[in-house]
Amino acid sequence: MEPRINDLQVESRVHELLDFPVHTNQISSAIYECPNDHIENPKKKPYNCPHSGAKCDVTGDIQRLLLHLRNDHNVEMSDGRSFSHRYVHHDPKHLHHATWMLTLLDCCGRKFCLYFEAFHLRKTPMYMAFMQFMGDEEEAMSFSYSLQVGGNGRKLTWQGVPRSIRDSHKTVRDSQDGLIITRKLALFFSTDNNTTDKELKLKVSGRVWREQPVSI
Amino acid sequence: METDSMECVSSTGNEIHQNGNGHQSYQFSSTKTHGGAAAAAVVTNIVGPTATAPATSVYELLECPVCTYSMYPPIHQCHNGHTLCSTCKVRVHNRCPTCRQELGDIRCLALEKVAESLELPCKFYNLGCPEIFPYYSKLKHESLCNFRPYSCPYAGSECGIVGDIPFLVAHLRDDHKVDMHAGSTFNHRYVKSNPREVENATWMLTVFHCFGQYFCLHFEAFQLGMGPVYMAFLRFMGDEEDARSYSYSLEVGGSGRKLTWEGTPRSIRDSHRKVRDSNDGLIIQRNMALFFSGGDRKELKLRVTGKIWKEQHSPDSGLSIPNLSSS
Repeated sequence: MEPRINDLQVESRVHELLDFPVHTNQISSAIYECPNDHIENPKKKPYNCPHSGAKCDVTGDIQRLLLHLRNDHNVEMSDGRSFSHRYVHHDPKHLHHATWMLTLLDCCGRKFCLYFEAFHLRKTPMYMAFMQFMGDEEEAMSFSYSLQVGGNGRKLTWQGVPRSIRDSHKTVRDSQDGLIITRKLALFFSTDNNTTDKELKLKVSGRVWREQPVSI
Repeated sequence: METDSMECVSSTGNEIHQNGNGHQSYQFSSTKTHGGAAAAAVVTNIVGPTATAPATSVYELLECPVCTYSMYPPIHQCHNGHTLCSTCKVRVHNRCPTCRQELGDIRCLALEKVAESLELPCKFYNLGCPEIFPYYSKLKHESLCNFRPYSCPYAGSECGIVGDIPFLVAHLRDDHKVDMHAGSTFNHRYVKSNPREVENATWMLTVFHCFGQYFCLHFEAFQLGMGPVYMAFLRFMGDEEDARSYSYSLEVGGSGRKLTWEGTPRSIRDSHRKVRDSNDGLIIQRNMALFFSGGDRKELKLRVTGKIWKEQHSPDSGLSIPNLSSS
């Protein structure tokens, strides 16, 4: 049972009571702005909303951001242990930087953001998929993920380490730390299922797992 | 470009272009007398005796007096009956290259019909092709004939060598000093001390010998759009159909990441450039490549591992050859 607080005024009063580092976030709905100058521990520093499409200024801890993503951005959650997503791009000849999607993945109780987007990399149209961990850098490194895309007898697989959402979506994209497919190849992959050049249908499958701690 | 021979009619146009442009019709007519007769003689030698009367003159008639290539419908003629192929027609500014009279728009249906009745052997008969074709389908066959020679797969220079596979393997080894490896797995290290300089010319070729076949592994740096990338892919030294019975994988990685490509080798019938431009292989963005290299990002050190295997193939799973040259 989740109580809903819709009155923003009430919310902002409660906000003060629930502020870092002593808040409990179990009963809060999305709380906007969490300016806190008294944070000593960088791990407790609030995260920015990882929804990169619009300029969303919401910050908060992971639980709060999850609620915010679900309620305000309508982002869906999938099982991260094995997933398969289909991306359809109706007009792939016209690529805009704004063409992108976000899905949430759950693995071992942790949450991951899976991005898929179309963009131009030095004037070449590309698609890119990558994952970011909803948590700090240190814990992010204990996970691995793989993404696979293919068709027409070919397949391309990326295996990587999710970056923390402390790194902005743009930072990760620009460092090319993910699965990158040129549009040419993407269209070739999608000609598998009776599609025409006018429509792109890419199936991206993958999984997230926790790496076994190395024992020497 | 081997697969382009379907368009050999349009390549004749280029030849005219080189000879001089349109209005210099004298050049055209002189080409006719010399080139035309010589080429006709060659054709006759191949054909040998046929049932119908003087073959030589018929084949001679079917040669365009401008480009000396065989004419295909629509064949045109001027008011005086001088014939011309349709490609050359558009280039002569409505003036007959033979008599310099106005050309008009008359089709020479009679000659088209005569051609229909002719049968000729494939021009690769001396390479083993036993087939004989009606005049109009011969050209199409020759562009796809399995006996047509292969072009040298070496990509770096304009090598014009053609021949069969054993000949090309020896040619690659002896003339291009290409490394030859036996076996179906490989582990290559590509090191470049100054990866900031990416030129089209930076590339490598290695030949692998396994399953009784030869494969070309290409690795190269080039500009994809404005961005420098590295690309690795495999080509099969044989025809398209046999290429589809093999698969290969390539893997590159470092710092907890790895990128894997699994694909079907393309035949060397497809030019190196065509495969590259269709992005049919492992493409590594430079940032990623430097990340994989570790260290201070000043030097490129890529370890590419991979293997080739033979597919258990179901005959009806015909995969289309990608043709992505247009974007």
